Amino acid sequence: MQRLHATLCLKRKSILTAAMKRTLLASCLALLMLSCFHREPDPFVGNEKFNGTGYRPVYKSPDEIAKVEVQAAQALKKPGKIYTFDRYLFVNELGKGIHIIDNTDPKKPENLSFISILGNYDIAVKDNWLYADNLSNLLVIDIADPRAPKFTKTIPNAIPGYNYPPLTGIYFECADPKKGIVVDWEKVEMEKQPNCYR
Amino acid sequence: MKKLIPLLFLGLAAIGLMLLLNACNENSGDSGPSPQTGAGGSMARFAITDNTLYIVSKQSLEVYDINDGGNPAKAATRNLGVGIETIFPYQKNLFIGAMDGMYIYNNAKPNDPKFLTKYTHVLSCDPVVVQGRYAYVTLRTGVNCRPGGSFSSLDVVDISDPEKPQMVGSQRMDSPYGLGVSGNKLFVCEGDRGFKMMDITDPKAPVQKQFFRDVPAYDVIVRNNHLIVTGNGGLYQYNYDDSDSITYLSKIPVL
Repeated sequence: MQRLHATLCLKRKSILTAAMKRTLLASCLALLMLSCFHREPDPFVGNEKFNGTGYRPVYKSPDEIAKVEVQAAQALKKPGKIYTFDRYLFVNELGKGIHIIDNTDPKKPENLSFISILGNYDIAVKDNWLYADNLSNLLVIDIADPRAPKFTKTIPNAIPGYNYPPLTGIYFECADPKKGIVVDWEKVEMEKQPNCYR
Repeated sequence: MKKLIPLLFLGLAAIGLMLLLNACNENSGDSGPSPQTGAGGSMARFAITDNTLYIVSKQSLEVYDINDGGNPAKAATRNLGVGIETIFPYQKNLFIGAMDGMYIYNNAKPNDPKFLTKYTHVLSCDPVVVQGRYAYVTLRTGVNCRPGGSFSSLDVVDISDPEKPQMVGSQRMDSPYGLGVSGNKLFVCEGDRGFKMMDITDPKAPVQKQFFRDVPAYDVIVRNNHLIVTGNGGLYQYNYDDSDSITYLSKIPVL
């Protein structure tokens, strides 16, 4: 948008008198400011030009999101946050779930099991109850037997989220709730500038 | 005589530290039979104190009563600004790290946290840990953190009056993520650049003692001379002692 104002201003410049120039400059400036102002009133509003890439939502159905599976121990791939409880260690696998590790001997930690949870980043434990996030849902998991955790309860919409990518200065396809729940954002080439920006 | 003065100060500092640590022990002993809860790192959005689960979403603090652990019951919501990232409970306060500052809530009534103050700083990503009267906050610049910002830093904030936090020190960091504090040691995760051990005998002025560049570090838990670190290389465990050196215990690699 701004680029456009700028070029318009430049082209006309040559055929204008000095006084007109000044007025035009002022109005150009005003337009510039307006064009910024009309964007999302976010502290991070950037002035990036659309460069042919944008972010597209990755949708999943509520059923797919609700699927929580206890699996055999898995290797760490992208470890996130950690939580210690008693002799156990809980290690988040970014966006994927939780590794449960027996850390009785910190020289030989033993990987016990993996709980697969979509959109999981956080963990907390009290007694035999493990709490975990599953996108906007809060899950309760019974870990009385850490080798065989039992998924117990979902509290839906416990953690309010955003419907836009966790980035600023970028263009993205606006999320459409009819298509499902946004679980991720992928960076893709786009022919047309998408409608959303932040 | 002059030579003795520094020793005297060191001695005083040591005594002070012991008193401080003792005070903490007494406090934790006060609460009587409490449920067994674990400990997270400074990057956590979830925190449990006794029978309350605190969750910070990107814009709010959600409070759940977990007296009945299998059935968390919503107790309260506090709307905060944008860009909320971390929560760190310490004694009777909750320290909430946001992109534009640090919120302090009093949770003497666990299910009804009261807003005390917001300590505002430049836009950045900033987990916080607290020990005694000081909060340690890392401010990381980055695409989504401190746009067009200058540099990353480790700030020391005096929170002895939690309604009037005051910055008492600041020093430059590389790209700090999580941090952990215990006794006279402060540990700072510097992402893929490594892991720093700092001395905080003078709690206002952390002094770098070691920089382990081969340990990619994102989050850390420090307890009883035991360090648990995660990062792109996997999960590392170490012991440390007062000699500023660490002993390797184990590693679960990333595959």
